[in-house]
Amino acid sequence: MAKALRVKFQPPLALTLLILGFFVFLPMLSAFEYSIRTPLTGGYGWTHYIWAVTEDDFFHYILRSMWLAGVTVLITLFVLVPTLTWLHLSNSKVRGLIDGISLLPLVIPVVAFAVGAQIAFPEFVQNTVLELPFLYFVLALPYAYRSLDIGLNSIPLKTITEAARSAGANWMRTITTVIVPVIRGSVMATIALTFALSLGEYTLTVLLHWDTFPTWVTYVAQDNILGAIAISMMSLIIPFLILTVITLFVPERSTQGRK
Amino acid sequence: MSSKSLSLRNISKRFGTVNALDNFNLEVGVGELVALLGPSGCGKTTALRVVAGLEHQDSGTVLVADKNISDVPAHKRNMGMVFQAYSLFPNLTVEENVAFGLQMRKVTKTVRLKKAHELLDLVGLDSQSKRFTHQLSGGQQQRVALARALAFEPEILLLDEPLSALDAQVRVNLREEIRRLQLSLGTTTLFVTHDQEEAMAISDRVGVMSHGKLEQIDTPDALYNKPATSFVASFVGTMNRIPTQLSDGHVQLFGKMIPALKNGNESGNVIALVRPESIVIKSTDEDANAKVLTRLFMGASSNIVCQTKDGTVVQSLMSSDKSGDLHPGSTVKLEVTNKEVLVSNA
Amino acid sequence: MTSQVIEEGAPSRGRAFLASFIKNILPAVPLLLIIGFFFLFPITRMIYVSFLSNDNAFTLENFKTAIQEPYRTGFINSIKIGLFSAAIAAFPGALAAYFIETRGSSKLRRTIAVMSGVLANTGGVPLAFMFYAALGIQGYLTKVLKHLGWDLYSGTFSLGSFIGLLIVYLYFQLPLMVIVFSPAIVSLRREWSEAARNLGASQFNYWIRIGIPLLFPSFIASFLLLFASGFSAYATANALTVGNLPLTPLQIGGLLDGNVSAAQLNLGKALGVVMIVISACAVIPYLAIQRRSAKWQKR
Repeated sequence: MAKALRVKFQPPLALTLLILGFFVFLPMLSAFEYSIRTPLTGGYGWTHYIWAVTEDDFFHYILRSMWLAGVTVLITLFVLVPTLTWLHLSNSKVRGLIDGISLLPLVIPVVAFAVGAQIAFPEFVQNTVLELPFLYFVLALPYAYRSLDIGLNSIPLKTITEAARSAGANWMRTITTVIVPVIRGSVMATIALTFALSLGEYTLTVLLHWDTFPTWVTYVAQDNILGAIAISMMSLIIPFLILTVITLFVPERSTQGRK
Repeated sequence: MSSKSLSLRNISKRFGTVNALDNFNLEVGVGELVALLGPSGCGKTTALRVVAGLEHQDSGTVLVADKNISDVPAHKRNMGMVFQAYSLFPNLTVEENVAFGLQMRKVTKTVRLKKAHELLDLVGLDSQSKRFTHQLSGGQQQRVALARALAFEPEILLLDEPLSALDAQVRVNLREEIRRLQLSLGTTTLFVTHDQEEAMAISDRVGVMSHGKLEQIDTPDALYNKPATSFVASFVGTMNRIPTQLSDGHVQLFGKMIPALKNGNESGNVIALVRPESIVIKSTDEDANAKVLTRLFMGASSNIVCQTKDGTVVQSLMSSDKSGDLHPGSTVKLEVTNKEVLVSNA
Repeated sequence: MTSQVIEEGAPSRGRAFLASFIKNILPAVPLLLIIGFFFLFPITRMIYVSFLSNDNAFTLENFKTAIQEPYRTGFINSIKIGLFSAAIAAFPGALAAYFIETRGSSKLRRTIAVMSGVLANTGGVPLAFMFYAALGIQGYLTKVLKHLGWDLYSGTFSLGSFIGLLIVYLYFQLPLMVIVFSPAIVSLRREWSEAARNLGASQFNYWIRIGIPLLFPSFIASFLLLFASGFSAYATANALTVGNLPLTPLQIGGLLDGNVSAAQLNLGKALGVVMIVISACAVIPYLAIQRRSAKWQKR
């Protein structure tokens, strides 16, 4: 009712935010200070940032990481959305099994997964970088699956599908033009999550000897630690700011039912 | 019995810019069941929460048996409350839930469990006492909540829309059970609901609220037959609103002059408020003043919707066997059976 | 939709099987294939190979070596850093989640959720370099702390030491705790605290009898997940330590890269299997508790 209108100053909350703020931003600011030091002049400047963005490899590896992440998102959506829709509609016996399997990657440490991945795949798989999106897909699966599952649970899926089907839409159209827009909140969350995870994945990538943006940073660090720090700051702060701004300015999603 | 009377005097409560309670007054006698009825946002729930001590009023006093309890914290007020739904503690069994109030009052385990079983027996759920609450149906959960609220013999029982989350059939059964228990225990009860049928069915008196104020409080019969304001008239039951003229204290309705009952200074163009059962329809070809639009058969009675010559749509409730010859398109003559009729400003 | 299955000899039974396969399993095949090939197969193969000697005979030697030095210390350190980082982060994280979820506006809650998500997940290498810059020997924060009378580097401290790594791990463990514990706070219904008060419970009694018992399973579950995350973290440790702190993930990494000459080729696989077992001991109870709580958390 009207209770939500009451806005009060909350000392415990304010204190919590203050402490969290210090905890999060002090190291960040301190690191930022370090990253703009220029040892030659003793002052501050954007030297290392400029060095980083003028380095050819910088964009080469960013683009490479982005397209790998993009492929991972595509695999996730193409495989998970239809499968989950079907699982929700059919009450198939395999649903419990798949629910369980989708959580399994949480159990396996990535390092251990890397060991398995290194010895298991036939050469034609190991020789193509396209193995990475599939492996990233596995790593993101518990989160992506859960997010889509919640989305599908919060809508009257059966009614919606039956309505779309009786209006003459085939399964493809039903999923792309009806179901996905209705659960767009959780689809967006899934995309963001999968993309971010793939973009930042380091352990598996480096242990399988592939080069992506995160592994390139460690390579840079070997002879230009300040450059590596500048790149790290960018890769921490930029997504941090973009996502925070998006949350602050994009209206609350209205589609996801809150039960 | 430990039951006590309850008074709310000049209670005001604001949330931001919203006046939830505006100089609100209410008296509930010992053993009485009073319902607060009103549209959502009218302040009825706030009134109940102020009584429970879950909200604190900005001004005014709450008295229990003439003792001011305004500054007594919620957990020291001896009141049992039943919430809308899902208020049972999920980590406790049914009997532990019911015994919780007594446990807080330091009653020994054997005594409180015995009392819990007594209450569970009263609501017909003694067999479920060892189960956890999520294993029960919605109706069963509310029964347990009722038992829990009564187990420590509260001075006052507070019901916050306890039936609103239940299915229609369960609602009807449970409301009768609430009344039966309340009568047999003699607990003073304040019952908040937005469902007028529910309020009318089980209350000694019903208070109709709007914008933080009590519009009228009276027995269900009086409220229905003699609404004090046009808000009450149209909120309680169905009311036809027929535009007409007021002159010499009379209004003309379907060619007949009827004494008008005024609440204020109505004059000139007014709306006459007439219950559907007070309108009788006669099938006729001569001196017809209306035409039948639809007839809804509802079993013993039928709801007939007519349109008068000047375009007003009027509903009538008649016994079905007397309205069998009325069909859409029939020309009819309407008559009002009231001796006097309530009017309000147009 | 469903065609009635009529028992009428082999051909129709075969068709019925086909129909039931198409209806019950076929749509799941792409997902199952990907999971099977890219996940279950490598894991199974690793487990299998971990029992093989260099000349492919069955052996337990890999596991025997895996629990001896230096790998034993690696496991102890990894478990310790998982436990300590989880223990330190759990309570403050839970408290922060409580205040944010119960007192914060919806905008604040969403912002914190996103920020925590970024901090808990994008960590790894950039996080390591950030701390190198902030808390390294030249870092501004180090200078400030020294100025305040706390000289970090007066003793044996380094970011690659156990304590150093612990501090860095907290930076992603605390947000992770906020993320995994918040749903439990949200599921605490206001009606419960109000009903408790109404029934005569003080704030203290409410927390003792209702609040804490309801939150406790989720707290333990969250702790377990944090443990697993700290236990298996690789990237940060790899960037900060220089071989001075034995941790199982780093040892496995070293074996994979062939940096360490191993008499036993399949030792890394055995270490991986032991890691999975330890991680499973934490994550499986976590999942089980989550599932159980979901029953009454719904609605």
